[in-house]
Amino acid sequence: MSRELSPEMLQKRADTITSFSRTAGRMPTFSEIGALLGLRSKNAVAKLVRRLEAHGMLRRDAHGRLVLDRPARSLRLLGSVEAGFPSPAEEELADTLSLDDLLIKNPQASFLLKVSGDSMSGAGILPGDLVIVDRAQNAKNGDIVIAEIDGAWTMKYLKKEGDSVLLVAANARYRPIQPRQELKIAGVITGVVRKYQ
Amino acid sequence: MISFPRAILHLDADAFFASCEQAVNPALRGRPVITGKERGIVSAASYEAKARGVTRGMRLFEVRKICPDAVILPSDYETYSIFSLRMFEILRRFTPDVEEYSIDEAFADLTGLRRFHRASYESIADSIRKTMAAELGFTVSVGVSLTKVLAKIGSKHRKPNGLTIIGSRDIEEHLSQLPVGKIWGIGPNTAAYLAKFGIRTALDFARRPESFADKALSKPYREIWHELNGRSVLPVITEPKQSYQSISKAKTFTPPSTDREFVFAQLAKNLENACIKARRHNLAAQRLSLFLRQQDFRDNGCEIKLDRPTSYPAELFNALHEGFSRLYRPGTPYRQTTVVLADLVAESACQYTLFDDPVRIEKMARLYKAVDSLSARFGKHTVQHCASLPTRQHTQHAGDRGDLSHRRKDLIRGETARRCLGIPIGKIQI
Repeated sequence: MSRELSPEMLQKRADTITSFSRTAGRMPTFSEIGALLGLRSKNAVAKLVRRLEAHGMLRRDAHGRLVLDRPARSLRLLGSVEAGFPSPAEEELADTLSLDDLLIKNPQASFLLKVSGDSMSGAGILPGDLVIVDRAQNAKNGDIVIAEIDGAWTMKYLKKEGDSVLLVAANARYRPIQPRQELKIAGVITGVVRKYQ
Repeated sequence: MISFPRAILHLDADAFFASCEQAVNPALRGRPVITGKERGIVSAASYEAKARGVTRGMRLFEVRKICPDAVILPSDYETYSIFSLRMFEILRRFTPDVEEYSIDEAFADLTGLRRFHRASYESIADSIRKTMAAELGFTVSVGVSLTKVLAKIGSKHRKPNGLTIIGSRDIEEHLSQLPVGKIWGIGPNTAAYLAKFGIRTALDFARRPESFADKALSKPYREIWHELNGRSVLPVITEPKQSYQSISKAKTFTPPSTDREFVFAQLAKNLENACIKARRHNLAAQRLSLFLRQQDFRDNGCEIKLDRPTSYPAELFNALHEGFSRLYRPGTPYRQTTVVLADLVAESACQYTLFDDPVRIEKMARLYKAVDSLSARFGKHTVQHCASLPTRQHTQHAGDRGDLSHRRKDLIRGETARRCLGIPIGKIQI
């Protein structure tokens, strides 16, 4: 007594199964599929999975486990949502960008530094944060830079006015510094990472 | 004569490990920096340290004598590997044909890229050198010539931060200054052999007629002879290294030990490590060598031919134990053990002989497959053999030699001892 499902209905079931991975980061087990689709026996699930596989809607690996086709860990970049019009963002799925790609422009020239001082707290950089430093970038006026100034290292805004260069903190307790002898810029801050948990 | 029928570049990082340390910690720039604290000998010395007479392999107590202000650091291979990968990636921006020759050396084929870069080979090489310095934070030395052997002579010619171009007409000049033993691939034995023919410099060698090369030399040296004469015969191999001739694992421990069980455990752990690597590359060894190094740096070793090619420690322990019993002398303090798996063959090419027990071997294969998958999930040596357990009695190095690299000491939130971010962390107080 087998009931043949239409391709549309099969696709719907495949989508339900795949959508499980969006929150779990992995494909469901057979018993989890059963719970999702209201099938009580694993045998029924197995039959359905076989049919979906035959239609190319799901894939399994050598061990018979379902394979997740998209990498689970890269975050999805959704289309921008305009106020008032809930956009079907799902359909605007762009190419995905990993957090690494988002934060690091020059992967060969970037390194991390742990922040210990509070001189840039006004710019949202707090003690304990990690900053991403890019060595390859040329420092421009207004960039946050890592600089060696008269033998000591510091992180400040770079202010250029004509020929003079000033390092300015984002905290009223610190006064702007003018390099007396030499100023070496080790890199430009391109991002800050703070992990709460 | 065309000056560059081929343009091969060789890149060699200057004092690589020490340079990596100086790159992440600018306070170390300009100071004598030495890595290899955990080994008790110099792994790498910065140019400041070399200027004071420190050489590779020197013992650290000697270093402290001749250079008391040296900064001696434990090796941080993870950071070095990251910088190594970055070096290769930067090189690939200039040409797709890059051979990752070792952790701090690479060959690259620049032939035909002048038009693409709108620059001469010399200025391409120069911008490679400058980009490395700007992005990595330390310098490299570069040689460009017609062949790999000549390019390598070029990168050695001026160091550090050097750039040497050896075109066809410069070959003679460079070779005439170079003792034949300094050529890449010619060791002391071959140099001594060539000396019997009156060959002292690389030029003497290159000037010999082809009939000499054919008659007196074996293939690798004939290839060097051709390369010295500007004919490129050694290709730039762009695929990552897939096969190994041999796999060797050595570990020093401090303090030196006279404890039989412990020394054997160290050896057993090296065997486990070597086998893990062999299995990762689907190789099996036909020969097993082991070495014990005494506290006074004297080595004893032996070599065992195996009944059948294998990469399973359980099959090798008998041989290992037999070799160990032959070498081990009670009461002698040992500081290092080494295991070498040699005559490696592809595992798929192994056949059972008449005397093998296929069922037992299959069972072992399944067992080690399980061990490997557990390691992949929970870390290396999650499951280990009893023989290597005593290595867990204490850390590999007692006292200040056991110091962890700063990367391992200050993990950032979310990192574990086993998994760290793949990006260098600078050591600057800001």
